[in-house]
Amino acid sequence: MAKKIGRREFVKKSAKIGITAVLGTGVVSQIIEGSVRVFEGEHIDIGVVTGSDYYSSTIKAVDLIGGIKRFVPKDSRVAILPNVQRWHPGTYTKPEIVRSVINMCKEAGAKEINCLSWLDRKNWEATGLAAVIKEEGANLKLVEREEAFFKPVKIPKGKALKEACIMKEFFNNDVFINMPITKDHAGNKFTGTMKNLMGLNFSTSNRSFHKKDWQTDKNAIEHLDQCIADLNTVIKPTLCVVDATEFIITNGPMGPGEIIKPQKVVVGVDRVAVDSYCKTLWGIKDEEIFMIKFGYEHGLGEMDLNKVKIKEKKI
Amino acid sequence: MKRNINLFEILFSSCLLLSFYSSENSLSAQRDLYKYLPDEDKIEGWKKDGSLQQYKGEDLYLYIDGGAEIYHEYGFRKVIIQDYINKNEKSISLEIFEMTTPESAYGIYTFKTSPEGKELDLGNGAQLADYYLNFWKGNIIVTLTGFDEDEETIEGLLEIARAVEVKIEIRGTRPSIVSMLPKKDLVPQSIKYFKGNLGLYNSYSFFTKDVFWLKGGVKGDYKDGYSLFIISYDDIDESKKRFSKAKKNFRESPRYKNYEPFVEKAFQVKNDRGQFIFISSFDRYILIVVGIVTQAQVKKIFLNFQEYINNKT
Repeated sequence: MAKKIGRREFVKKSAKIGITAVLGTGVVSQIIEGSVRVFEGEHIDIGVVTGSDYYSSTIKAVDLIGGIKRFVPKDSRVAILPNVQRWHPGTYTKPEIVRSVINMCKEAGAKEINCLSWLDRKNWEATGLAAVIKEEGANLKLVEREEAFFKPVKIPKGKALKEACIMKEFFNNDVFINMPITKDHAGNKFTGTMKNLMGLNFSTSNRSFHKKDWQTDKNAIEHLDQCIADLNTVIKPTLCVVDATEFIITNGPMGPGEIIKPQKVVVGVDRVAVDSYCKTLWGIKDEEIFMIKFGYEHGLGEMDLNKVKIKEKKI
Repeated sequence: MKRNINLFEILFSSCLLLSFYSSENSLSAQRDLYKYLPDEDKIEGWKKDGSLQQYKGEDLYLYIDGGAEIYHEYGFRKVIIQDYINKNEKSISLEIFEMTTPESAYGIYTFKTSPEGKELDLGNGAQLADYYLNFWKGNIIVTLTGFDEDEETIEGLLEIARAVEVKIEIRGTRPSIVSMLPKKDLVPQSIKYFKGNLGLYNSYSFFTKDVFWLKGGVKGDYKDGYSLFIISYDDIDESKKRFSKAKKNFRESPRYKNYEPFVEKAFQVKNDRGQFIFISSFDRYILIVVGIVTQAQVKKIFLNFQEYINNKT
């Protein structure tokens, strides 16, 4: 006879992201969402800090939305996903921003901090991120690009993507901090919090986001953006910390490209709102990006910035 | 029974032969690009760092996951990548891409280069921007990337580029549509050649969907502050059809306001950035002018283009 699990016990046992694999899809979001504590101060959806000291900006931006302890419980295992796609300036999450997040997590009492990736070590070393992770005592967990290291995850609400293939290592964590750099992308013009989740997904699955034969397929951009929004229905970051300090606005995502320097660190839980805010930094209009609209249609967040509470600070 | 065994043997042997042929074919296809790697005596002070990487066709996603689609739109075949290092640990990454045609190589070259770079006399066209060097020759595009702008890195980029360039014997010409851009006041390195909607979308997103059914087109920026796009079609009927569809989309899109007919076979709209856009149909082409421009200037551009078409035919 199967033993019944009470709600309290369920929550305790569900603390690991990994439980979703057993229970099925859609649960990841609920569990991670559950790890965000109620904040009794002023409710702020997006915190933005502008300044040249990116380490301090990151701390202050997180403070604006309630401080790191709201998101990282004591003794938790934290997964961090920076963007390390290339090492050209303005294409990767800056080491000082990652250093800041690692130190905040340590201060909150995190038991383990894991930077995850299936990209090569060379990317981490060339960007200077590997050194920072080592210096701060976090772990760099590089997952081999082999199917055995990834877990299929069904996407019940998926309109274009029905199944993702997420790195198994991800499920050994309790908290997920998504840390993209916002930048140009040749495939759909914009990279931010939602698109960064492709960094957890197996490359063969990612390849299906991009339709074959771009010359004849008229809906390729739409397909890519729908897949990204679909993927986001099963993984919800506990917190998003976006590097919008210096980034490329042409020749993305790999660069090199033309760089603009808004010097902003943007944080929030609502991915759609955060992406919607970031795209305004280089004048992209709502109508130009399908992904944000699709994320909104999935109920992942708010795309109308008039309905979002944004607090900005300069240091 | 005997017949079955023979048949099985034949099938088995055929499979073996086929798989041997396929793998040999694939390997030799990759080796085609090896011959362009620089000779070591021509790049003094630089040595190979790490092993050679190679990707073919769809596998480009494994190398530049998230950035491969634009190469595929232009027409990608294969790439080899080799890193180099010098005694001061300066690094340079060399990428040699084989595209399907010289037009494809030129197209991705225009996509990767910027108006601010320094033009170089190398191959069919070359540019150095900071620590990033691109040149195209025939259906090959070569990209060299350093990690800083120090003198020895820049010298290394030029040295390796020259050593590769001399080994590429094929040559190519720019697509003929590029010469249709009026030369007066054209910012030379602003030219972008498109082979599909993604290229256009990255240059100017008139619409996220492929409203123009783009197969070939070009864009140039002009000193006065406007851009001219020329989109070509196979015949006049197709051009008319696409022009009519585009007109409908511009009229109905909430992004565009103030729709008004302009001169014959032309209309104008205002975009959400307050810029005027003028669109016209000529023969098997659609012309678009965007930016800081007066109606008188646009009329002149359209008139000159009409004359060009008349003279050509």
